Formats: sequence, C-alpha cells, structure tokens
Amino acid sequence: MKRKLITLRRILIAGIKNFVRNSWLSIAAIAVMVVSIIIILSSIVMNVATQNTISELSKNIKIAVYFLPDTEEDQIFQLKKEFESDSRVAEVTYISSEKAQSDFIESNKTDQKTLQGLALIGADSLPASLQVSVSDLTLINSVADLARQDKYKDYIEDLNVGKQDVQRTIDDATTAQKFITRASIIAASIFVGVSILIIFNTIRMAIFTRQEEIRTEKLLGATRSYIKGPFLVESAIYGIISGIIGSSIVLATVRVISYKDFAYTKDYFSDPKIMALCVLGSILFGILVGYISSSLAIRKYLRLKRW
Amino acid sequence: MILLDRVTKTYNKRGSALKSINLHVEPKEFVVIVGQSGAGKSTLLKLLTREEKPSSGKIIVGGIDYSTLKDRKIPYLRRKIGVVFQDFKLLPNKTVFENVAFALEIVGMSNKEIQHTIPKVLEIVGLTGKENSYPSELSGGERQRVAIARAVVRQPKILIADEPTGNLDPKHAWDVIAVLEKINRFGTTVLLTTHNQEIVQKLRRRVVTIQDGQIVSDKAGGRYRR
Repeated sequence: MKRKLITLRRILIAGIKNFVRNSWLSIAAIAVMVVSIIIILSSIVMNVATQNTISELSKNIKIAVYFLPDTEEDQIFQLKKEFESDSRVAEVTYISSEKAQSDFIESNKTDQKTLQGLALIGADSLPASLQVSVSDLTLINSVADLARQDKYKDYIEDLNVGKQDVQRTIDDATTAQKFITRASIIAASIFVGVSILIIFNTIRMAIFTRQEEIRTEKLLGATRSYIKGPFLVESAIYGIISGIIGSSIVLATVRVISYKDFAYTKDYFSDPKIMALCVLGSILFGILVGYISSSLAIRKYLRLKRW
Repeated sequence: MILLDRVTKTYNKRGSALKSINLHVEPKEFVVIVGQSGAGKSTLLKLLTREEKPSSGKIIVGGIDYSTLKDRKIPYLRRKIGVVFQDFKLLPNKTVFENVAFALEIVGMSNKEIQHTIPKVLEIVGLTGKENSYPSELSGGERQRVAIARAVVRQPKILIADEPTGNLDPKHAWDVIAVLEKINRFGTTVLLTTHNQEIVQKLRRRVVTIQDGQIVSDKAGGRYRR
C-alpha cells in the first residue's frame, strides 16, 4: 500500500513536470479548451436567463372565468372543483365580486376619476371570477375547454384565455432559447473536437520526445500505469486549469452585467452553491475531455500493448 | 536459471533470426555470446527480456515459463532481469544518482531506501563522487558503469549486457568487464554479448557462438571462433 502511494505521488510529479516541459503546447491546448468551456457555460447562463424571462411572462398568462352577477357561489365552486381536480392546472383562485371591487379600489386609490366611475356604475358591477394558472402554457386552451362545457354556459359571462401579445413574446423567447441551445451545442461540439485534437497532438508530441525514455522505462520493469499515468495527469492538468479559467471568465462576466432584466440570472449565478457547481462542472468536463484525448494518443502512440 | 528449448524466431521480412536454439545457463554462470552482426545475438537477448516473443519453442527464466506469462506480468519479470545496452540508454536530463534511482522509483521504493541503496551500488561500479554529474559530463566507460549500476541496483538474478563495450576504448572496455565480473562474483548470472575478440580470449569463460541464427559452438573457457 505504501509503495502504491509512493508510486502514485511519483506519477503525479512526473505529470506536472511533463506539463511544465510542454508549456507552449500546453498553453494552446488550454486556450482552446477554455473557449469550449466558455461557450458551454455561456449557453447555460443564456438558457437560465431566457427560462427566467419565460417564467416571468408566464405568470401573466391565466385563464380568467367571469361569472354572471346572479351566479350562485355553489355553481362557481363546482367549476373550481373541476379545475382543481385536473392535473394540468397549477392553481385556481376564486375572486368574489366584493373582493374584485376592493382589489380594484386598492389598486386605483390614487385615481379619483376611476373610483368615481366605479361608484356610478354600481358596487356589484365587477363580476366574481376564477383565475386559473396552468402547469404547461401549451395546454392552456385545452384547460379552458373545461369552462366551455354546456353545463356552465348559463353562468359564464366571459372567458379570457391569456394575453395574445404576452403569448407571442413567450413563443419568441422559447424559439430564441431553442436557437441558443442548438447553436451552443454545435459551437461547443466543434470546439470540444478541436480541444481533443490539440490535446491529442500535445500528448503525441510528448510521447515522441520521450520515446527512448519510455522504452528504457519498459525494460526496467515499469508497469503500464506507471508509463501512461504522467500523460493522463498532464491532460488532467489541462482540464483543471481550463475549467477554472473558463468558469471564472463566465461567472465574472455575469457579475458585471447590470442589465435590469438580467438581475435574476445574476443573483442565480452569484449563489455560492451554483458558482461551485459551475467551477466543479467545468473542471470535471475539462478533465473528461483531457482524459479522452490523451487516452486516444496513448492507445495509438504509446504502444503499451506491445511489450 | 535460463533454459531455451528449440527456440525459433522468424520475422516476416527478414526471415529466421534464430533457428531452433537450445541453451541452458546455470545460476551464477558468466556466459559470453559471440557472433557476427545479424547472427541473432540481439534477438536472443530480446527474447530473454520478452521484448520479442518466440515463433516456436520454450523459454524458461528463473522458473518463469514465458509461454504462460501474461502481458501484465512482464514488468515484474523485467524487474528480475538487469539489462545493459551498448548505447547506455541513460536519461540525459537526470544526474547519475537520478538515473540509478529511476530503476528503484519504478518499483515504488521510498526516497529514504533509495538514498541508502545508491551509494553502495555506485561504490561497486567505481562511481563514488560522481552522483551529481550528468551523463554528458562522463566518459563512455563511466556512462556504461552508470548503466550497469542501474541494471544491478535491484539485485537481479540475471544481468544481460548487450555489447556493453561496443562504444568504448580498450581501457574503458576492460573497466566495464571488470565490473561485470565483480557482479558475477556476487552471485548474479551474467550474459554478455560482444564482438571484442580480446575480451573473449582473456575472460576464459563459457563462450556460445551464434552463426546464422544457430548455435555453432558452446565451450567452457572458450575462445572466439572466427
């Protein structure tokens, strides 16, 4: 066990030495991997931002069912119950005529003309209503069909399903989100591919320059893991450094953006847990890319199968 | 210690390098293998270090039957065999001490054990005081003695020396041979390949002559056969 730990320590040190020895090639490998990580993290940030915009807009989209003035509360509650029992419905709120009026007065208390107008048309002029929000906006019309049933048509004065302009904005944001995701996947795939090629080439060069040393190691009785270990450590170092640099750049950029509608995203990515997750995720991603490329180079050029 | 039973090695392009070789080497023996370039000496040594696999025949070294040896066990076999090369194969960016330590680091020996072991082996090969020199600062003979120190530092049962005097002037060549004899006296089986007739004549050891991939002569206290 002690010998294994000593060997592991030596492999780590040899990997760090390789990294320093190949410093110029290492910089190129790290630079490309940093770009890949920035693209991927930026895509995540933009997705969070658009998702937040969509959910903010979605809050304004509800089904509003307005009842005729002489509708009994029992009849209203029958429909309310039907909405509540539907799994597509997120929330149902009953607003009585009195509550609608008090809410109206409260929200217009500085507007005397509007309040006078309300007094003129009568206290019971605002209808009772059910405000229904759905779990998935695409289902809003089918949920609204519950209120369109014949059994309710004699009680319902009006049925309002969402706001068309808001719906359109949401559709636009969703399309933008999909575009950002697809474009990011394509760009990230290209840069990850380039990263793999560059690290592959860096490790290949390192193997060529150390060919005689490797042969001597083999003849002296070095195990496969002892020979290939330093190359894997070297590529893991690329991943760790790239992960730290890439995530730091993206997180720092998010912090300096002061755009008002970006506040939620800014707060989200300022959470220490999310920040740690971004940094760790980037490092792990970098290590994975490094491991894949160096493994390919080792398999092709180290010829460990032939002893 | 070493047994080769009807060992043949055939290369696709070159044809047969060794043809049904039989060789038996006792423990603590000093065997000189001679032959022209291309006779098959290096192939024989490569088979013993398991750099090459025989096309047919059986090889047993130190009780290990190579035909049943798994690839992942090869490093452990090599740790039992010391190898010295004509071109030394020292690492130029490492000092004498580090070059020898390299063989011990591979097997996971601690730094403390390495510090304790290396001065002793450097004394045996006559390199005390050269610990911090780099290979480029040493003579050919000294470099070869570093290579020998590296090969024997793990106290292998067998030492294979492939033309160790090939790149050396006569004085340094004899220094190297003297070290090999010393190591043999400590109980290590030595297999030496050489072209040097004078060394073969003066050593008066068992001489195995290989010609066209076959053993044509095997004599105790033998001489170089032209």
